[in-house]
Amino acid sequence: MVTREDVENIALLSKLFVPEEELDGLTESMQEIINFADAINNAPAGDEGFDNINNLSNVFREDEVIESYPSEEILKNAPEQAEDHFLVRNRE
Amino acid sequence: MGCEAVKYELVSGFETHIELSTKTKIFCGCTTQFGGDPNTHCCPVCIGLPGTLPVLNREVVRFAIKAGLAVHGKIADIAKMDRKNYCYPDLSKAYQISQLYAPLIIGGYVELSNGRKIRLHHIHIEEDAGKLIHRHGDTYVDYNRGGVPLIEIVSEPDIRSIDEAKEYVERLQQVMRWVGVSDCKMQEGSMRCDVNISVRPEGTEAFGTRTEIKNMNSITNIARAMEYEYDRQVDLIESGGKVVQETLRFDDVTGTTSSMRSKEDAHDYRYFRDPDLVTINVPRDEVEALRAEMPELPADKCRRYIEEYSIPEKDAQLLTKYRRISEYFDEAIDGVKSPKTVSNFIIGQMFRRTETESDKELFAVPTTPAQLNELVKLLDSGKIRNNLAKSTLEKMLDSGKGATDFISESDMGGVDDAALLELCKNAVDSNPKAVEDFKNGKEKAIKALVGNVMKNSRGKADAMAAEAKIKELIG
Amino acid sequence: MGKIAKIHEMLTTGQCSCAELTKSYLKAIESDNGELNAYVCVTGDEAMKTAEAVDKKIAAGETIGLLEGVPMALKDNMSTKGIDTTCCSKILTGYKPIFDATVWELLKEQNAVMLGKTNMDEFAMGSSCENSYFGGAANPVDTNHVAGGSSGGAASAVGGNIAAYGLGSDTGGSIRQPASFCGVVGLKPTYGAVSRYGLIAYASSLDQIGPVTSSVEDAALVFDAISKPDKRDSTCKGSASPTFDKLGSDIKGMKIGIAREYLDGVRDDVKEAVLAAAELYKGMGAEIVYFDLPILKFALPVYYIIACAEASSNLGRYDGIRYGYKTEHYTGTHDMICRTRSEGFGEEVKRRILLGTYVLSAGYYDAYYKKAQDLRGTIIKAFNNAFEQCDVILAPTVPMTAFEKGHATSDPVETYLTDICTVPVNIAGLPGVSVPCGFNQKGMPIGMQLIGKSFDEATILNAAYHYQQAAPDKFKETKWGVKL
Repeated sequence: MVTREDVENIALLSKLFVPEEELDGLTESMQEIINFADAINNAPAGDEGFDNINNLSNVFREDEVIESYPSEEILKNAPEQAEDHFLVRNRE
Repeated sequence: MGCEAVKYELVSGFETHIELSTKTKIFCGCTTQFGGDPNTHCCPVCIGLPGTLPVLNREVVRFAIKAGLAVHGKIADIAKMDRKNYCYPDLSKAYQISQLYAPLIIGGYVELSNGRKIRLHHIHIEEDAGKLIHRHGDTYVDYNRGGVPLIEIVSEPDIRSIDEAKEYVERLQQVMRWVGVSDCKMQEGSMRCDVNISVRPEGTEAFGTRTEIKNMNSITNIARAMEYEYDRQVDLIESGGKVVQETLRFDDVTGTTSSMRSKEDAHDYRYFRDPDLVTINVPRDEVEALRAEMPELPADKCRRYIEEYSIPEKDAQLLTKYRRISEYFDEAIDGVKSPKTVSNFIIGQMFRRTETESDKELFAVPTTPAQLNELVKLLDSGKIRNNLAKSTLEKMLDSGKGATDFISESDMGGVDDAALLELCKNAVDSNPKAVEDFKNGKEKAIKALVGNVMKNSRGKADAMAAEAKIKELIG
Repeated sequence: MGKIAKIHEMLTTGQCSCAELTKSYLKAIESDNGELNAYVCVTGDEAMKTAEAVDKKIAAGETIGLLEGVPMALKDNMSTKGIDTTCCSKILTGYKPIFDATVWELLKEQNAVMLGKTNMDEFAMGSSCENSYFGGAANPVDTNHVAGGSSGGAASAVGGNIAAYGLGSDTGGSIRQPASFCGVVGLKPTYGAVSRYGLIAYASSLDQIGPVTSSVEDAALVFDAISKPDKRDSTCKGSASPTFDKLGSDIKGMKIGIAREYLDGVRDDVKEAVLAAAELYKGMGAEIVYFDLPILKFALPVYYIIACAEASSNLGRYDGIRYGYKTEHYTGTHDMICRTRSEGFGEEVKRRILLGTYVLSAGYYDAYYKKAQDLRGTIIKAFNNAFEQCDVILAPTVPMTAFEKGHATSDPVETYLTDICTVPVNIAGLPGVSVPCGFNQKGMPIGMQLIGKSFDEATILNAAYHYQQAAPDKFKETKWGVKL
């Protein structure tokens, strides 16, 4: 059972605002999707386990320095920046 | 008979983050060097640009295994990487790649000087976050530290006092530096502790509700924060209140803890296996090779110094605090009669010249272990006396020169046993009056004979030995 | 002859220059993209620059590779240095990557002429392409119909002849489904055959890049070019061996399996077309084997649980700090992040983020995410067993044909059902190719899917090739774009 509180909680975890007037509708729609997902509870208990596709292991890189990017490149797409930092401006 | 006041026992467990001294970050080739201009040790991977993928640094796994071996942990056969999801501006992907379900190291312990073993739950590898600077309400983000490899050492709640807590941290620091996995510089943030703390009436079993003080970066502050938090919890309980499980920050100006919780952070990390990284199938031969390469651990070495060399415990602790000191000592005692003499020189004279902890850690004294060894051997053979050795060592430490640069052949000449006997015979033969006076009960007369020996040996003879020898000759 | 080989011949025999060819594609885009809406970004200048470089090589008498100078398109979720890469989301508006995706690096080395970036459902979440921030791509067979999704732009561009080929990405059918809707060929490679480095993640354990082409030969050629191991993608091994060289090898005695579950709930015209294809294979000496795969009925919820869980984590990083859209008015960092995300993501993306967060959250992880992972193991095992009885599995790609624009139901669950035939392949990490196999009454294309063993693209492409040779009438040119 998906409750309004569940939706509020997962919205907070997801960093999404759900306007009050949409909360009921969204709860209902989430419930519907969860009902659909609940179908898996009718499946036979899986005992195969799953690790990763192709069962790969031990893929490593060596500890060798690769030149970093210039900070101008790193900051190129930042909506706001100052003094070579990404910036969240909170002043009015 | 009045009511006896309930005494409260402190119960504490630590989560200790230690930055590994690999050359590069955990998932990309950027340098791990401390500092640097903001956002200059970054690439698309460590700033989490969309589409980038992590590739695990092999050395991180090796370092973590070394760390595990250093604290007697079990190295897992299979380890996996998980995502810990939380959204914060210093975390470029909104998740930290860490380990929950299958950490690399299981168990282990840290032994304290009181004999108690603080058990470890596990050690896992993970990535560090970037750095936030708050200025005038604005937030500046620098990702240089983002992606630097960390191990998190999670202890069981086995710590029972602030002294134990301090020693626990010092022991971890000591052994992690010792095996070379980290410099453990708390002031630079390469070692940080989250302290879990609760109290319970002495003699009871059940744990009280715990609080967690986050991000402690000095041992002094750990002690202050724990003291404050212990008092706060005891006061709260005694006044009928209840401790609330929460995360706290410590304010080192006011010396108090306060809640970090805000309604903005709901804590549910939604851990799940990171699909971008494959399984770590820990190769046993590599573990065994690392085990074989492990240096003798400080605790073992300390015990050996006490047992084999009869070094006092306090001194043995000092000698094994840093690996370089102990290695210096090991070299300098080669073939000497009394390792304790070497220890005394190191602790007495050399430590005065390595005042700070980092000086001691480097232990870059001008005198080589071989030079100290030479000096001690001169002393051992009786060629020089202790006070000459001491003053010579000072000169050696000032100049970096060897003992023989300051002690001439003649300085050493008269002091061995045969020479002393000769000097004493001489004194007796040439001073019949004094001998006579002494035989007649004039104790002081011996001083004249010893004075003669000292004069003729130009002060290099041992006065006590000379007196004994003279008494033997005329007695 | 495939289109790539044809263009190669034209270029090397001097029938036209690469610049001329590229210009004609760019002109066609100019005239037709308004209606097809296949491209969301056209990179004419860069295309012409590459074309001229290729012409210089030809003029200098140098030999050129098969893909060299061939005009193509990339789905807008593949990172292209200095060129907008938005995933067709408002939240990535203005984002210009500072590095190239590995697939683009590989093709760039071969002087592929990129015409632009193609339309898609926002963050590849959707089956119609209508979840694009830029509006959906149209189906080139009939523009009143959707192109399908999420790689709708790629299928529309290839079907509309305004790209010789395209690269799409397939998480739950996003290459095969639009290929089926638009009457073109779409290959979803084995998980790990093609590098995901630079592909903006939707669901990391399911995403794979693959070609959308007008012929099986082209699909094989492009797949061979991009299926290389990549040190930057731990999950990428590359392909076992080239597939193009094996096209045309004998399929007599090949066992083609049909799992009955794949035909459940499939519309009659689609079912008939697929069964007719089976008959055709029989005529070529293949053996048709029927079997059951009952576990498939759980594939769809398993897919949505895993995909949404991974997506909720992958999409956490869009916070308005490092790149992309940032809200204008806010009070404090937390508020900024929430507003940016709420304004920047579309409805479907938000819905999947919420669902993914839910199935991973405390108290639900075991019941949903962990259970789904266990079932994933069971599904993989079931496919392994199936492949002991057959060499390839034949199935419909989609239970229906392209629907009309704006016709997509607002019911999310009903929409998810569109993916029922495509998701099992992603769950099991297998290769699957969609090939046109007929038309419905209204002339809309029907697609069939050939599913192979892990890293056995060669066999399914060979089977697809034989079908294409035997049924050329199923591969129809549309009225749009460049006629070679």
